[in-house]
Amino acid sequence: MTTIAEFMANDHQACDAKFADAEAAALTDDWSQAEPAFNAFRDGMARHFRMEEDVLFPALKSSGGPAGPVHVMLMEHAQIKELVKQMGAAVERKDAQEYGGLSETLLMVMQQHNHKEENILYPITDQILAAQRETLLGQMQAV
Amino acid sequence: MKIASLSPEQAPPISLPLRFFAVAPLFLVLAALLLVTSGGNPFAELRSPAQVAVTHHITLGFMAMVMLGAIQQLLPVVIGSTMPATRWVAWFTFLPLIAGALSLSAGFLLGRPELLNLSWGLLGLTFLVFIAASLASLARAEAKNATKIAIMLAIFSLAGAVTFGVLLAAGYANGLALPYARLATAHISLALGGWVLLLVIGVSYQVVPMFQLTPNYPKWMTAWLAPAIFAALLLNLVLLLPEAAPRWTAFVAEAIFWLLAVGFAAVTLRLQSQRRRRIPDAPLSFFRLGMVSLLVAALLSLAALAFPDAGDLLRTLSALAFLLGFALSLIQGMLYKIVPFLVWFHLFRGGVKTGVPNMKEIILEPWMWRHLWLHGSTLAAALLAVWWNAAVWLAALGLLLQGVLLSYGIFTGIAVYRRTLRKIEQTSTGGSP
Repeated sequence: MTTIAEFMANDHQACDAKFADAEAAALTDDWSQAEPAFNAFRDGMARHFRMEEDVLFPALKSSGGPAGPVHVMLMEHAQIKELVKQMGAAVERKDAQEYGGLSETLLMVMQQHNHKEENILYPITDQILAAQRETLLGQMQAV
Repeated sequence: MKIASLSPEQAPPISLPLRFFAVAPLFLVLAALLLVTSGGNPFAELRSPAQVAVTHHITLGFMAMVMLGAIQQLLPVVIGSTMPATRWVAWFTFLPLIAGALSLSAGFLLGRPELLNLSWGLLGLTFLVFIAASLASLARAEAKNATKIAIMLAIFSLAGAVTFGVLLAAGYANGLALPYARLATAHISLALGGWVLLLVIGVSYQVVPMFQLTPNYPKWMTAWLAPAIFAALLLNLVLLLPEAAPRWTAFVAEAIFWLLAVGFAAVTLRLQSQRRRRIPDAPLSFFRLGMVSLLVAALLSLAALAFPDAGDLLRTLSALAFLLGFALSLIQGMLYKIVPFLVWFHLFRGGVKTGVPNMKEIILEPWMWRHLWLHGSTLAAALLAVWWNAAVWLAALGLLLQGVLLSYGIFTGIAVYRRTLRKIEQTSTGGSP
């Protein structure tokens, strides 16, 4: 059976793929491709954050999970959202150079964030919320 | 659970790693100046005083300087455990490393025993502090992964390399009767084959899939590669001990080491060829040049085993490919990622959203590409210099320009950091100048 860690790590990879597609299109100034690719990436990220912020983190909190790590993850979400917002503005202006600099920065932040979640937070979640796992996976898929 | 490792305060202040990174390129410049002023051809004369001096400017002054700074920055992130007494460790590694590298080279060049005696004391202190702090940090880390094991084995190798290095320097300074050739072999193989290679392997396990968006390294490989390389190095050391170990045993032990290195380079290049992120990226190209150079270094050393008549020449070429090609490519490529990121990270985490330059506005990409070409040309010149004396000048010029370019990049990063910070502070205090 899929663990929460596996399910969420797979979603990270799906977002990575969308990230790479959007970046490749933007950097070749192919905005007819880049715009929908960026939108797909932005929506994928937004959905991933909702799964965590609306389902996973509250469940963790109400089961007495550690508040500190969740707080740090939320701060990093805010950083990532800000960068994605700035990337959206670069797409609107069709500014490949700006997009490339922002996406380079986002990649570094996002990957370190994902690494911490996959190696620390999700394994904690799988332990603490083992009994509710299937319900939670269902709720996250429905987001 | 490793909850503490998610603390936002785990990153040391930006001045800590940048201090190491800012000084390191100056040693490339010094190495270049030594190359042209020492007379003769240090590339062709193995273990001449000039060659030893130039080599240690590069290995201690540049490589160790960056590696020590980077590890003090990275350990908290990669294995989730901070170094004890961060500031003390930083100063007691940074200052004695500078003084130790300078006095070692000067001691060899000028033939001054008192400088050599000073140098081994200083360098011994540097690495004792660093090794103790790193091991304390590793012991506290609850993470149990292949990276942690590889870094630990790299640090054990460093401890051995430093011990042999101290013995060599003290021996030369005081005219002790020591088996110098065998000690030097042990020193070099642990420093480069152990410390440098194992550290690169441990860091690559994380960095390559994460930032280059490649598949993960195969699990079986991350489980045994670093321990196998460490075991091969120990086997090579043991075979140095008896006066007359059968020749074939040393042959087999060395071949095993280089074949493992080939395996690592080949798998890394293959993973990188499968990367999802396919845009041109100068640091990635540095990394790939480094991996190709590691392959070349391994093949040259294997050829030296197969053709003992040309052994000295092939080994010299292999050492150049390893040091300038493999180690220098990776270190410089890494600096071009880590410096812009640190500047951005320390500006952005203050909660300021606008006015923080993105990574590509901190060190401009065209400079990184120019540096890559310069670096490739320097490597080619250094390999040619083994035969052709005039190429020594080219290699020295290349090294000099690389030191200058890297300094320029790093100081630009520091300038952008300071300027932006000032602007942010002015805005937050109401805009008055």
